[in-house]
Amino acid sequence: MAGFMQDIKFYDCRIVEGSSTSIILDNGKIEEISKNFTRGAGVRALCGGSWGYTAVEGEIDLKQGVEAASKLAFSMNKNTPKEAIELAAVSSPEIKDLPEIKIDPRNIAIEDKVDLLKDIEANAQVKGVNSTKVMYLESEFKIEYRNSDGLECAYELLNVGFAVSAVASENGVYQAGRESRFGYGYELFEKENVMELAGKAGNTAVELLKAKTPKGGEMPVLLDQELAGVFAHEAVGHASEADLVLEGDSILENRIGEQIASPLVTIVDDPTLHEFGYYPFDAEGVQSRRTEIIRDGIFNSYLHSRETAAKLGGIPGNCRAQGYSMPVVRMSNTFVDNGKAKFEEMLEEIRDGMYLIGSRGGQVNTGEGIFQFNAEKGYLIKDGELTELIRDVSLSGKTLEILNHITLVGNDLKMTAGRCGKAGQLAPVSDGSPHLAISKVLVGGA
Amino acid sequence: MYELARKALLMAEKAGAEEAEIYYASSHSTGVNFKKDSLDNARDRFSEGIGIRAVVNGAVGFASTNSARELENTVEVAVAEARVRESDPDWTGLPSNGKYPVVSGIFDKKVETLELEECIGYAMALVEGTTELPGTLPTSGGFTRAKARQLILNTNGIEIEEESTAVSGFVDVITINGDTSTAYDFAISRSLDIDFFALGKNASELALKSSDGIKIEPQKTDVIFHPFAFSDILEEALAPSIDSDNVQKRRSGLIDKLGEELAVPELSIYDDGLFEAGIETSASDDEGIPSQRTTVIEKGVLKTYLYDTYTAGKAGVNSTGNGSRSSYMSPPAVGLRNFIIDYPETDIIADTRSGIFVNTVIGAHTANSISGDFSVEARNAFTIKDGALDKPIKSLMISGNAFELLKNITGAGLDVRKVGGIITPSIRISDLSVIG
Repeated sequence: MAGFMQDIKFYDCRIVEGSSTSIILDNGKIEEISKNFTRGAGVRALCGGSWGYTAVEGEIDLKQGVEAASKLAFSMNKNTPKEAIELAAVSSPEIKDLPEIKIDPRNIAIEDKVDLLKDIEANAQVKGVNSTKVMYLESEFKIEYRNSDGLECAYELLNVGFAVSAVASENGVYQAGRESRFGYGYELFEKENVMELAGKAGNTAVELLKAKTPKGGEMPVLLDQELAGVFAHEAVGHASEADLVLEGDSILENRIGEQIASPLVTIVDDPTLHEFGYYPFDAEGVQSRRTEIIRDGIFNSYLHSRETAAKLGGIPGNCRAQGYSMPVVRMSNTFVDNGKAKFEEMLEEIRDGMYLIGSRGGQVNTGEGIFQFNAEKGYLIKDGELTELIRDVSLSGKTLEILNHITLVGNDLKMTAGRCGKAGQLAPVSDGSPHLAISKVLVGGA
Repeated sequence: MYELARKALLMAEKAGAEEAEIYYASSHSTGVNFKKDSLDNARDRFSEGIGIRAVVNGAVGFASTNSARELENTVEVAVAEARVRESDPDWTGLPSNGKYPVVSGIFDKKVETLELEECIGYAMALVEGTTELPGTLPTSGGFTRAKARQLILNTNGIEIEEESTAVSGFVDVITINGDTSTAYDFAISRSLDIDFFALGKNASELALKSSDGIKIEPQKTDVIFHPFAFSDILEEALAPSIDSDNVQKRRSGLIDKLGEELAVPELSIYDDGLFEAGIETSASDDEGIPSQRTTVIEKGVLKTYLYDTYTAGKAGVNSTGNGSRSSYMSPPAVGLRNFIIDYPETDIIADTRSGIFVNTVIGAHTANSISGDFSVEARNAFTIKDGALDKPIKSLMISGNAFELLKNITGAGLDVRKVGGIITPSIRISDLSVIG
């Protein structure tokens, strides 16, 4: 190999091979059946304080890939030398407890999958719904990891899922309802009662036509499991990612050991759970493990890659990548742990405010600790009782203020699968929470 | 795989496809990225693959691969998928008779041949721009250059090959003393005409100006959206309703609105695949239809929706050249080309006695893409007093409706900017509801 290789302290390769199938049914018609086969590799090389990275698709010459990445790292280090990057030590991961698959979706004929989607769609077409869409996704992939320290490991994963959406309209008003489930094995479609979920999506769309847009302002709010899970992921999880901390882009910098939330709050990231964010080892070959980000209100740990763990002192295992992209620090299955409060108690605690349900997405600014989320729907709470249905509601505020304004944590933790975007890459994750009562938050409405 | 494209077309016919299309795309990109004020990594990415549409008895199957070894299997899967589907009465066929316009400014040899050292230089310029003024640090960002090639072949005789280049710079900064505030700047172009130092400096200035924000009372007021903020809202809350696919599936807020006065008469909107050096410019769309300039809104009146070949066939009109793909891995769907907002330009801040100026918004993607309702958090927002920016605003939520916005535009700035494919000046909207 070329002369610069002696300056390369570390390199690693991830080879990803797999295929994905999608079927889209739209208003009763098959809109799309598509299948994609991919093969590719991502190679990282470290020279002093610089990383070089090469991604190649198709037929792969790993030796060439390592050389190309090494050359990039070498040139970067030569042009702008800086302090050498250290990596936290790791040992070979143990591959165990992969999610069990009872019914292999590859053994189900495509015609049967189409029939299933047709049934799901029919259930979403409740009275008042005038447009529906159902999507089936199946993906299988094999990941092989190798590095210059001799670590080698591999695993295969197969996941399936579906999403259904329904739209209802009346007098120029359009409202949508959505439901989705993702997991492992075709048995998901039996376990999750998908027909009921489809009906729920349809009913939500129809109900929302009559919903009012409330007046915004600061008020007490009850968050459902899905929206509270989005908060845990977006507002707390991202700010605890150590790469953002090192970039100076997190409000949680230098706060380990500090009380940053109500003592009722414990937030965990756990890639070993068989939820959608599961992995046996991360993109650096590090064994996956549970991390308590916040324990009883005290900020306990960042999420780390080998590089950030060496810099800040911590344990790696949260470095992930989409396909063969360059890995970055990311979450897996992130949730607020169960508390003790019952739903009725929480309504009583809120007394007059809003109950916000589901999520249409959100965004955070981790540096300033500001977030914005849109709820799917909600109810006004008057005298501790749910009253009118509301829509087009969003909440925003400061992460640390909200964490301290949590007055009750429910006992009904529920996880929701999704995809998280960071550094231009999507990764499968899940997030969840029990119901959360918050004494004061800014709600946007009409 | 480029050499295999023609062979794949023959394979598809042999496997029983009545019509077939091969979409080949490759790209090579190089990125140099920084964290804080030092360079962190250089990335080289080669991507190449083929997507196949096979038609059997008026039904379409699609499959793709980046592996030459899998190509034959992929072609067969596409044909088999088509056979599973029932004949689609709305399918009128793949494009034919491609006579292509000449477009310019989308390929720059200098970008193609850029050395890593030069890429490092541009990334450093971004960082140096942020350190021009004391008080901020970049958090992350980088420079990227890319070269792409695409080839479309179909059994109706379409054969079009194009090459293009792009460079982009992105920088995120944060204040390091006192009150924390952040800002970013971004630019993308077909050639090396971006001032990367200025991008860094702009972001840094904006973060500094945004510190020590005030709280404002909930009110209805004039709001001026910077091109970044306005294009974000347009893309999420308005554009989906112009997509003919959404119109045909009853998922658009603009059903039966053709010919109606949708906006103020000073406003026109064009979708232009031919715009000189545009990010969405090319001779052909992503299924071989010649690119064109389409008037979407003319003096406030909605003239047309945007079509790809399939939705145009279904509606009995011609495709507007909006067949678009995010990669070789997906079949074409309706997508915007260069989307140009045209409104008489003035020195808009100077012309505003009181109101709010918003640089960027977060949460635009949570908008209701059918009703056009949106509720966003404004970032780097300022009060306007007597024709000048006055004080930064700490936190601000803006709620509105994209269709209402079009009716309430009262001015546009001189600061036209290409935000990816959306080309717009700052836009002033009267009477928007804001919550501080």
